[in-house]
Amino acid sequence: MKLIAGVDIGNSTTEVCVGGVLPDGSIRFLASASVRTTGTKGTPENVGGIRAALETACERLGRPLSDISLARLNEAAPVIGDTAMETITETIITESSMIGHNPSTPAGAGQAAGTLIFLEDLDKGMPGTPYIVAVSKAHSYEETAGILNAYQETLSIRGVILQADEAVLVENRLRFSVPIVDEVRHIDRIPSGKLAAIEVALPGQSVRMLSNPYGIATLLKLDAGETRAVTPIAKSLVGKRSAVVIKTPHGNIRENVLPAGVIHIEGEHTVSVPVDEGAEKIMGALAEAGKVRDVFGEENTNVGNMFRRIKTGMADLAQEASGSVRITDLLAVDTLAPVEISGALAGETCMEKAVGIAAMVKTEQLPMERIARKMRREMGIYTTVAGVEAVMASLGALTTPGTQLPIAILDMGGGSTDAAVITEDGRVRTTHQAGAGELVTLLIQTELGLESRITAEQIKRYPLAKVESLFHMRLENGSMQFFPEAIDPRYYGHVVLLTPNELLRIEEDLPMERISQVRREAKRKVFVCNALRALAAVAPEGNLKKIPNVVLVGGSAEDFEIPEMLTEELSSYRIVCGRGNIRSSEGPRNAVATGLVLSYLGGN
Amino acid sequence: MEINEQLIQAITEAVVKVMEEQSGMAVPVSGQNGEKVSRMAPKRSYAGWTLAKQGTDPKEVVIGVGPAFQREIKATITGIPLDQVIENLCAGIEEEGMVPRVIKVLRTSDVGFMGLDAAKLSGSGIAIGLQSKGTAVIHQKDLYPLSNLELFPQAPLMTLETYRKIGQNAARYVKGEKVTPVECTNDPMVRAKYQVKAALMHMVETEQVDPDILAIEWGREQ
Repeated sequence: MKLIAGVDIGNSTTEVCVGGVLPDGSIRFLASASVRTTGTKGTPENVGGIRAALETACERLGRPLSDISLARLNEAAPVIGDTAMETITETIITESSMIGHNPSTPAGAGQAAGTLIFLEDLDKGMPGTPYIVAVSKAHSYEETAGILNAYQETLSIRGVILQADEAVLVENRLRFSVPIVDEVRHIDRIPSGKLAAIEVALPGQSVRMLSNPYGIATLLKLDAGETRAVTPIAKSLVGKRSAVVIKTPHGNIRENVLPAGVIHIEGEHTVSVPVDEGAEKIMGALAEAGKVRDVFGEENTNVGNMFRRIKTGMADLAQEASGSVRITDLLAVDTLAPVEISGALAGETCMEKAVGIAAMVKTEQLPMERIARKMRREMGIYTTVAGVEAVMASLGALTTPGTQLPIAILDMGGGSTDAAVITEDGRVRTTHQAGAGELVTLLIQTELGLESRITAEQIKRYPLAKVESLFHMRLENGSMQFFPEAIDPRYYGHVVLLTPNELLRIEEDLPMERISQVRREAKRKVFVCNALRALAAVAPEGNLKKIPNVVLVGGSAEDFEIPEMLTEELSSYRIVCGRGNIRSSEGPRNAVATGLVLSYLGGN
Repeated sequence: MEINEQLIQAITEAVVKVMEEQSGMAVPVSGQNGEKVSRMAPKRSYAGWTLAKQGTDPKEVVIGVGPAFQREIKATITGIPLDQVIENLCAGIEEEGMVPRVIKVLRTSDVGFMGLDAAKLSGSGIAIGLQSKGTAVIHQKDLYPLSNLELFPQAPLMTLETYRKIGQNAARYVKGEKVTPVECTNDPMVRAKYQVKAALMHMVETEQVDPDILAIEWGREQ
């Protein structure tokens, strides 16, 4: 029996499928394997991974590698994606006038207003004036409480701001009850003698008075003009457990719109759009431009540098001059990013508006022929470059039970979302859209303020749980899972990711609900938007309802929630959409490799 | 230089000789009549103290200190007064809204078992085990003795700030909150520098072990 191998080199995995040609000319699928791609997709370094995958498959068959008489390579789609994030607003505090943060344990509750005074200066305090006392960490909690108690008779102490994390300790030793905010790192920057308002929220609530411009106006006796000026303060205090606002004569907070650069889109019409207008405007401009020939960013801006980076990267790969590399699509998504406020006293952050951009480059052709030559030389296997990726994927997808022509596939990978439609008469339409898994990762990373890209990638992949005791955890869907043996104490109290082999801790202090909400939102923004865009591009007459079947293939189709999201979304167009099951056994993987083996029949 | 058994023996003999000369008397290995003389310190009796009770307050974090704590040993291996260590552990627990209770574990001088004994008596099931030389552990009642929530094995690198954070972390375990591990410095030379002192302090502690009394109520002020 003659052995034929289909080899699909993807951005992250290399997949092979080995089939035997029976004497009657039909094909029997024998084995498949999947390994990590070695080197960048489309370069001769890929051969290492191909060899490993073929060896694994042959081992499963019990045949030597040399028995393979033909290897068929896919002609990988010559697209490469990259992503960037651009913050478009920033909050600046000139002259410290606000503290709003979430110390884990503030003390007392309620709000108060008074003149700021440092603990050392209490002896200079005037009876009858309401005071808010600032205490540096040089004073111990015993000492602080002792002094405050001593002055309580003569002075009117309305609130306390502490540098150390000792609010509860001080409160437990005070003979009177006032709101206390702690963990204010730069206490030395607090201007004494100024009027300040302080608020600590009740348990389970967030501040109400200081997150409301009129609340601040009430406490600090502001006029209409001043109230307008404190609106950004109120905005940035929303959701905090405790807050301090200081009235300084020249104090100012403003929300700046950062010069983020302009995107020039060259298409049937040439359109320019500033990045800070937001995702909706950018996507609108893209649609207005029609078929895109190229995209440039303004020189020396972040977006300009991003587009340049993508182009040079792709030019290196294809060994072409970077002038001939063109960006053919982009996807912009609005998001929020926690950014530390400059001039803040306690390291406060504010959720600033940001735009995430994925761009995609198309070149003439990837140098697949070089890989084929290298395989022939090094492995002694006769290798041909056999077919266009999207077509092969469609052929492979047709082996999913319950499908029929015309069929559409949606290949959601890391860098791009590709779609293809095969009609009954065999005509194929394909499209590549920028934005896929990597943009989702970037959105998750930015919105949650994660330091590591890897953590964001893992959050994207795995469902969440919170370890509530050593013997049980609460899953994301609310149900409880118990364990007969103690869970490793390292996980105690943590939000964890349920990977197939182990639990992964999330180090950042984020509630499970927030993580899952951001994750789902990011996936929805990128995949649902892109799936509709891609399918509309390939659908006959641009009408989605003319596609009866959509089969999801590729890495992101294995995701635990994306296919469901799309099934739900596309059901409103009466489209049967679901995760592929290649050859009834492979799930959404191996579609291209399977298609390559199948197409050998057609080729003969 | 080659180090072998003969060399070590020679050094030991030399040291013993110098010690004999300095003290003017032979180090007693056995008494006049040949009976064994114990070099152990006399054991302090805790008869009559209140035995440590099973706690019922779900907010309680028990601190279980070692048998020599605040009596035979009054400061950690680096000289931090134990009164202050206890004060900071308690402050950390209190800041997080939980309630500290200090007991003295007499059954053992091993920090893991000490922590576990204390955890079993703790209303919340969480406890801190604290050896007199400063080594600490956060334990939970259902864990194996040598598995624990957090271990701070390098006593010489501990500061009062670390103890405050240990108290806070223990309290956060009670609340089921996510706990950031206490940042500790790591110094590979610590073992070499302090090994002898650590061994001696541990012996002083072990001498006070009383297997007949499991644990007694100790209190914050001693």
